[in-house]
Amino acid sequence: MLRIIGEPKKSFVTGNETAAWACLAAGADMMFGYPITPQNEIMHYWTRLAPKYRRGFLQTEDELSAGFTVCGSVQSGKKAFTATAGPGNVLMQEPFGMAEAMRLPLLAIIQQRGGPSSGTVVYSQQEVTLTTFGGNGEGMRIVYSTATHQEIYDYIIKGFNTAWKYRFPVFILGDGYQAKMREPLEMYDPEDKGIEMIKPFPLIGLEGHIGAGREPQHLCNIYSLEEELYEVVMKVAAEYESIKDIIVEYDEKNCDDADIIVVSHGVVSRAADDAVKILRAQGIKAGYFRPITLRPYPHKQLRAAIAKSGAKKLLIAESAYGQLDKLTKQEIFGETVKIENLFMPGVGIIDYDIINKVKSVL
Amino acid sequence: MIAPIVPQSWYLPSKPHKFCPGCGHGIVLKALGEAIDELKIQDQAIFGCDIGCSLLSWDFFACDSTQTHHGRTTPVMVGIKRSRPELITIGYMGDGGGYSIGSQHLLNAAVRNEKVTLILVNNTNYGMTGGQMAPTTLPGQKTETSPYGRDPEVTGYPMMGPEFLAAVTADSAYIARGTVSKYKQLKKYIRSALKNQMEGKGFSFVEVLSTCPTNWRTNACQTWNFLEDEMEKQFPVGELKNPLGKGDK
Amino acid sequence: MESYIHWEVFSFSQKITNRIVEAYIGEYASGKSEMAINRALELKNQGRQVTLVDLDTVEPFYTLRILKKDLEQMGIDVISFAREDAFGLGETGAMLNPRARWALMHEGDIILDIGYGVQGAKTLNLVEGAYESPDLLIVAVINGTRPMTDSLEKTKEYLIDLGRVDAVVLNTHLGDKSTPEIIIEGNNVIQVAARELGIPIAYLAIDENLRDAVPAAENDIPTKYIKRYMPGAIW
Repeated sequence: MLRIIGEPKKSFVTGNETAAWACLAAGADMMFGYPITPQNEIMHYWTRLAPKYRRGFLQTEDELSAGFTVCGSVQSGKKAFTATAGPGNVLMQEPFGMAEAMRLPLLAIIQQRGGPSSGTVVYSQQEVTLTTFGGNGEGMRIVYSTATHQEIYDYIIKGFNTAWKYRFPVFILGDGYQAKMREPLEMYDPEDKGIEMIKPFPLIGLEGHIGAGREPQHLCNIYSLEEELYEVVMKVAAEYESIKDIIVEYDEKNCDDADIIVVSHGVVSRAADDAVKILRAQGIKAGYFRPITLRPYPHKQLRAAIAKSGAKKLLIAESAYGQLDKLTKQEIFGETVKIENLFMPGVGIIDYDIINKVKSVL
Repeated sequence: MIAPIVPQSWYLPSKPHKFCPGCGHGIVLKALGEAIDELKIQDQAIFGCDIGCSLLSWDFFACDSTQTHHGRTTPVMVGIKRSRPELITIGYMGDGGGYSIGSQHLLNAAVRNEKVTLILVNNTNYGMTGGQMAPTTLPGQKTETSPYGRDPEVTGYPMMGPEFLAAVTADSAYIARGTVSKYKQLKKYIRSALKNQMEGKGFSFVEVLSTCPTNWRTNACQTWNFLEDEMEKQFPVGELKNPLGKGDK
Repeated sequence: MESYIHWEVFSFSQKITNRIVEAYIGEYASGKSEMAINRALELKNQGRQVTLVDLDTVEPFYTLRILKKDLEQMGIDVISFAREDAFGLGETGAMLNPRARWALMHEGDIILDIGYGVQGAKTLNLVEGAYESPDLLIVAVINGTRPMTDSLEKTKEYLIDLGRVDAVVLNTHLGDKSTPEIIIEGNNVIQVAARELGIPIAYLAIDENLRDAVPAAENDIPTKYIKRYMPGAIW
């Protein structure tokens, strides 16, 4: 594959740019998108870089179209991606549903903004429910919640491979702050880290003559009989279950012996990390647990952390009104640990927000 | 200090407004405000705005107003008009909200001859989000998502909205294209578009050629040249359909 | 304009009496706002009257808007909407305070923070009389670790695309991971690019925390130690 970066190098970048460069390095062929703050720079950078590397781009008439054009592109065998936020994410659930149903390896970058409705253009973690279980399906999707620019880069490269290997739509869940923050990043071509990019393959527009060597491909996402649908859904679910343990990612610290475990994801986990360090230094036994994949959720690992730590409480901290809380509770159903909440919908959470809350509930 | 004379239907607490210096929205909204005053419909008027720069008009008028979603101003106005026909619904949107994400709603409202009045401000870019390409961006025009200039081979030619709507609407629709450089004519068109609804005739639409020096990065002279020379060449100004007849003053 | 005149204007040692009008342009996240703020404060501390103008028309974040009150308390007049003025307005992207158009009517020095964008330096068209002003200096801020300006060819291409550039600020850094080697190497490349295009160097900008680690510039290029204010402009 043509090298984009050359020698791995360190750059000072914003999150949106990182996403554009990562898609380029991962070999993405096409981007379809529509303007919505705070992800516009992904498009701005892609449109500047794409012609130099012979990649394609179209600004569509809206997000419905952007999602469906990505579906079409993926069906034809190209690595396509899109990016959106807020109300755009809501609209894209229709095409994302088609991707789930028809097993289309699309990749979408979601830069969460305040919700519901037009909310704010700034930041939140209020698209967790939407991104993990949006649409009228069963959540057969993979969601990586990033916290740093390095992760945006690494998980986009990994995400394209996850999508094309397992054929589930993959989401990189960021937010407006990550989109705009400036940080150092090490960019690299995948081969420099021993990563082989999976080649895309078409589901339609296959090679060969129809009737003389190959059959025509008939794809659908609707069924006549309830039993047919049952078979399809159960089969897809079984496949999803079988890969969960391979895909799941998480991070934990100080959970060998803790009175309370702080559970957070995305950019809030950076504040949680600092908070736990400070609490420990003050003699308070706090632990840190961060799901990196929200789908599939690392519930086995969280249950294990609760068990070995002896923690009596969890503190779920999020910039939303209970979306991570709800997701976590459903995944660790049966655990008797008491769950406390720090809900700050649409607002950034700093270490002292978490520290003060921990102290108030212990 | 002497306060400027403004339409009675303008909401004073939200003034001075926050549109950029040199923006055409102020002119359009003044023409609309004067039309509302002259037709005496301040109490019945419902003003709806979209996302984008039109959003800055949400508390502009001393009329009942609602902000909607991007591209969804038309259907919200339709919903109101169908439920309360005595209200005068005025939908206000940009070229993105009208011709891009809102195009299916515009088309269908036009075909159904919905008795709403829609004013679409065309400044050839997505202003509020930083100057991305719009359906009305001119060939060769540089924007944040057409950094090398719009190539019609790749993304087609600019959307000719009033022409398109004139072709699909009934004879009782009012369709016009005005410009902020011809104020009296613009106000005449807006008045006609409102009267067409007041008289229960049909779908009423005015596209307005407008300026965006902020995203065009032009000084006053360059801004006006672009509007009068470049834009009017591409988008002819005039009335395409007028069921009220030429006699309407 | 001959380069020796530029050295005089940017020189630390001389107290300048004629009006200073500087427009900071550059790539996205190159450090324009940071340079503009530091320059405005430097002039203020010399006892001069300074107005800082926010011409960032693309970003709702990382603009002067958020620091307006703090900067005003430090004695700088800031032309920008305050963050609260954007409250309830949703897409708080392109909001240009009309006073910015007439910024040059203000007395004293004017420092303009020009946001990024495909039009480069053309944003100055939005300021009445900017290009005609004999005092105007268009200063391009470049960080050699930004992907679009991290090689000689790319930096030259970028400078040419910008349009008129009167001087370049060397602002290579990698945030918290800056090292003297990275800074020096990046800035050397920028210097070569500028020299090949005949553009003088305004100054070398170094984070004041790295004062001891990074050597001052040579060849009569002033070195300015920069305090970082912009991280406060988010969150």
